[in-house]
Amino acid sequence: MIKLGDLVFAGLTNGSIYAILALCVSVLFRVSGIINFAVGDFAMVGAMGAAFFVQNDGWNLALAIVVVLIFIGLFAYVFDLTVLRAAFESRRGYDKVTATFFYTLALSFFIEGVAFHMFGTEVHAAPELWSGYTLTIAGLHIQRAGVIIIGAAVVTGVGFAAFIQLSLVGKAVAACGENAFGARVVGIRQGSYRRGTFVAMSVLAGLFGIMLSPVTGFVYNSGSDLGWTGVVAAAFAGFTRPGRAVLMGIAIGLAEAFIGGYISTEYQEAFLYLGLVLIILCYPGVLGAGNLVEVD
Amino acid sequence: MILDERGRTAGNEVQWKNVREAQREVSEPSSVSTQQPPALVVSNVHVTYGAFVAVEEANLTVNEGDCIVMIGPNGNGKSTLAMAIAGLLQREGTVHVFGEVAPPGNAPWMVRHRVSLVPERRQLFPHLSVIDHITLGCYAWTRSLRAARTSHAFEEAVELFPELKPCHKQLAGTLSGGQQQMLALARGLSANPRVLIIDEPCLGLAEVVSQRVYAALKQLNNQGRTILLIEEKPWRALQISNGAVRVKRGVAEEITSAAELSMMAAGGGEQ
Repeated sequence: MIKLGDLVFAGLTNGSIYAILALCVSVLFRVSGIINFAVGDFAMVGAMGAAFFVQNDGWNLALAIVVVLIFIGLFAYVFDLTVLRAAFESRRGYDKVTATFFYTLALSFFIEGVAFHMFGTEVHAAPELWSGYTLTIAGLHIQRAGVIIIGAAVVTGVGFAAFIQLSLVGKAVAACGENAFGARVVGIRQGSYRRGTFVAMSVLAGLFGIMLSPVTGFVYNSGSDLGWTGVVAAAFAGFTRPGRAVLMGIAIGLAEAFIGGYISTEYQEAFLYLGLVLIILCYPGVLGAGNLVEVD
Repeated sequence: MILDERGRTAGNEVQWKNVREAQREVSEPSSVSTQQPPALVVSNVHVTYGAFVAVEEANLTVNEGDCIVMIGPNGNGKSTLAMAIAGLLQREGTVHVFGEVAPPGNAPWMVRHRVSLVPERRQLFPHLSVIDHITLGCYAWTRSLRAARTSHAFEEAVELFPELKPCHKQLAGTLSGGQQQMLALARGLSANPRVLIIDEPCLGLAEVVSQRVYAALKQLNNQGRTILLIEEKPWRALQISNGAVRVKRGVAEEITSAAELSMMAAGGGEQ
């Protein structure tokens, strides 16, 4: 029987990825009102791109990671410049949130399609950042990649919290999310923050995809599953609370591991989403920001 | 005619016709304005929402040190004109700020050139603290948290309303309406503006709070800050102002009739 500790570690590993993707989704939503459905696909591009350069072209792993992340950043920048900016700066009276919802969904399908043509249906995995045998600590079998992922997620979470609390630019990011018009009043360029956040969150997702790929492997459509889970975790935090979104991502990862370990691996996702639906039915306020305070 | 130290008349005994001329003689900041370009020159400004014309051919000049009140009924374009001047809306026509042409729809440019808007309904950040708001006001001129919090502008904004000090760590969304208005003014002031555009500062406030807000506005104007004040009910604003502009059906025109201004300052008359 699988040990509880192993399940917890596996859950924390996956949960850390969901948490980071949920962080990416909720931060971007706070800054700009965009729900980024393509966030998981950027993770897939990171993983498969790094694997491609290392395994096919024999590149050094560090170089491959840098090149892939620069590519992701440039791609996200161009997407914002050509699509998201047009949506936000258009004078046509449509709802920007709805429009960008479909734009990022289309981006997700586009990336998947390109990945399918480039990589086919084979599983790809970038080399481990910390290679070696599985660690055995207190009888638990701990994957080195999992340690890297959990450690990086903690550093990212703490770093983000410090950025928001201890820098004026971080407070400007928070201000954009709180009240876009109010942010403009104090001279904050919301468009620049939207672009910077979209690029930064895409690169972050790519980096965590690279870290995750030795654990799970990636195929062309792995990103959408990851991305959806990140969006669901962010939704359970009302899309506007990065801290709560991170906790929800970890909770989903743990729940998934326990369902897989004790109930059924085949129906892992079915049970998980059933549980989430039941939570929504019992506590509908969980999807909104029920205790938001208002400024009249 | 009794003039205060900046050339204003006492009480409601307002003789508006010569107040601005008298002020220029008495007040040092205004006498400088004859040599320097005006704080704001709005020329032929035109603002539309789609096919709807909200502001049509607005023209006004505000000299440094002035306190001008913009009056007019609700829905006639006062706030739209204020937002267009502050760069928050696209516009046609030109706006000069201390002689420089302001690019349209560019709010960061305006705050960098020391024109700050305190908008209608405050537009605060509900989950950010009072002190964070005052800090964010400094975004107009710095990106450093340390520079912001050790600056004179920050200190001045904090000192403007000492009654906010006990709630510095409180979230803006949990403040009363009056405290929120004070915070909005303090945030505007920490941008270190030379021109403050203040839109309906007493909307929905109790009389005692409105008096406190106006006392602060008078203090800021006495310190030499130029104020463009938007008020639907102008009697209180006219007590501290030295000129008025009426915006009606999107057209802005300066009110020059002394009798009309005196009547409005006394709390009567059509707007």
